[in-house]
This record gives sequence, structure tokens and C-alpha cells, in this order.
Amino acid sequence: MHPGPPPRPAAPRLTRRRALSLGLAAGGLGLAAPVLAGCAAASSDDGPDPLIPLVTRARSDAALVTAVITADPSLTGQLDPLRSARTDHATALEQEIARVAGTTAPATPAPAPTAPQAGADLDAVRQAVADAAREAAGLVGSVPTARAGLVGSVAACCAAYTTVLGAPQTS
Amino acid sequence: MSVPIDDEAVNALQGALSAEHAALWSYTLILAFVPADQAAVARQDIAGHRTLRSQIEQTLTDVGARPVSAQPAYTTPVPVTDTLSAGRLAVTAEADALAAWRSVLEHTTNQQLRVAALKALSEGTVRASRWRAATGTAPTIPSLPGIVR
Repeated sequence: MHPGPPPRPAAPRLTRRRALSLGLAAGGLGLAAPVLAGCAAASSDDGPDPLIPLVTRARSDAALVTAVITADPSLTGQLDPLRSARTDHATALEQEIARVAGTTAPATPAPAPTAPQAGADLDAVRQAVADAAREAAGLVGSVPTARAGLVGSVAACCAAYTTVLGAPQTS
Repeated sequence: MSVPIDDEAVNALQGALSAEHAALWSYTLILAFVPADQAAVARQDIAGHRTLRSQIEQTLTDVGARPVSAQPAYTTPVPVTDTLSAGRLAVTAEADALAAWRSVLEHTTNQQLRVAALKALSEGTVRASRWRAATGTAPTIPSLPGIVR
């Protein structure tokens, strides 16, 4: 048996990480096909930050969950973690927007989410979280590397909720 | 014209491969301590990690890099002695893998590699959520998978 490395002080990590210095270029993880030229990592024009729609959607989803829980408190246990997650997403995305904008103030006075009242039910939540997963996943390929992890995490979280909550029953 | 898999991306992939090796080692241990229903889940998870390991190894080989090998043994954060500690090891192993895959996203502009990394991150989040639920770890689905908290 080899003694393992000493545990890391902060978060316990299982993996034994190594310093790696390897070389080489060009190819793929099933990546042989050509990929979009010049699409990745194009960033800053002066247009609106592409993360703003994700913030708006995250806030809107949190409001939707609140409305659904208000209408049917028995769903609290199932949906409250999702509300927390979407709120976390909005906060993290706003911080990233502010970082790039060079401001410390919350960047987007995101338009007050219009909490949908009619049809605020579990199926609406399923639809919303599926849409959120799709929207974030659609951005993952085009954002700069500094943002790809964050957007990917938002997408993965929403996709996992889609798995747990199930697909929308109606379209 | 494709964006190449450069050194930075190769290193991130090697990190993901290391995490996949560690996860596979962990599940072998976990299998010895969990009841049949959880063992069935663990076997599914093993299959997923084996697929990812193979894909990374193939990719690294294709670009002329030598895939890192598994370690003979790993240190677990806490000793695995029962069902709960085994489940917690799965939580840790999945969290490490999620962090590694998120790092791949952050270290490449190659579109297909990003798509592959997001797929791994998404599937891993579902795997992680099952073990988090089994061990009473909240939230069941982490808000930002891949961020170590």
C-alpha cells in the first residue's frame, strides 16, 4: 500500500493532483470534426452583457417558484432548493457581469421579474428549468474561458433539476 | 479551422483523467460497503466514469499526449467503514470530478471539448445528487457544480 498524500488543509480532496507539463496541439474528444471558427471567446463589444438574460431568467425562475410554493405549500420541500439555486445563479452571474464592467455595484438593475401568476404550477417550473438549462448550455461554447465554468455550472445545475423534476407534461 | 487543444487544455484534461481514475478507485471501495440498491447505482456510476476515462485517454492519445496513469492507491478524506462513509466518499469523488470537468471548460475555447465537458459536468451533477441524497448532504443538487465549497 502506498501512503496517500497528506490531506489538504481546506476542503478534503481525494484526487492526487500532479504538476503536468505535456505538449502538443490539435485534435479532439471525438473532436476530429472541424469546429466553429473564431466563435469561441469572442467577447466585449459594447453591446449588452450576454449574461444579462441569464440573470433575468434566474430571477424570474426564483419568483415563479415562490408563486408555485405560495399556491401549493406542499411543494416547498421539493422546490425550495431550486429557488435557492436560481437565486445563487443570479448572484454569481451578477458578480461576473460587474467584474467585467469594472464596477462593484450590482451590475444589472435586472428588470423586476414579472412573476407569472396564471399557470404557476409544477409543470411551469419544469418548463422554466428546462429552458434555463438550454439557454445556459447554448452560451457555454461562446463565452470567454473566464466565464465558461460559471455558465457551465448553471447549465449543469438546471439540467440536473430537469432530471429530478421530470420533463414538462404539457407543452 | 478548429481551435486546437493546446497545452492548457491538455493539462486540464489530464486533471480530469486523474479525477476519473480516483473516482473509479473509490467506487471499487464503495461497492464493498453499500447495500444492494446502492451498489446497483454505484455500478452505473462506474460505467459512466469508465466511459469518460476512455474518452479522455483517447483524446489525449490523439493529440500526442501521454495520458496520466492511475495511482496505486488514494487517501480518502475519512476512513470508509460503513454505508454512510462509503456514500460520503462517492460525494467527494464526484465533487472532485465535477471540479476537474469545470476546469476543462475554463481552459479551452475548443467548441467540441466544451460541449464534451459540459456533458460530463451535467451527468456528473446527477450522479453527485444521488449520493448527496443518500448521505443527507444538502443541497442535493449543488447550485454551482464544480465549485468546491
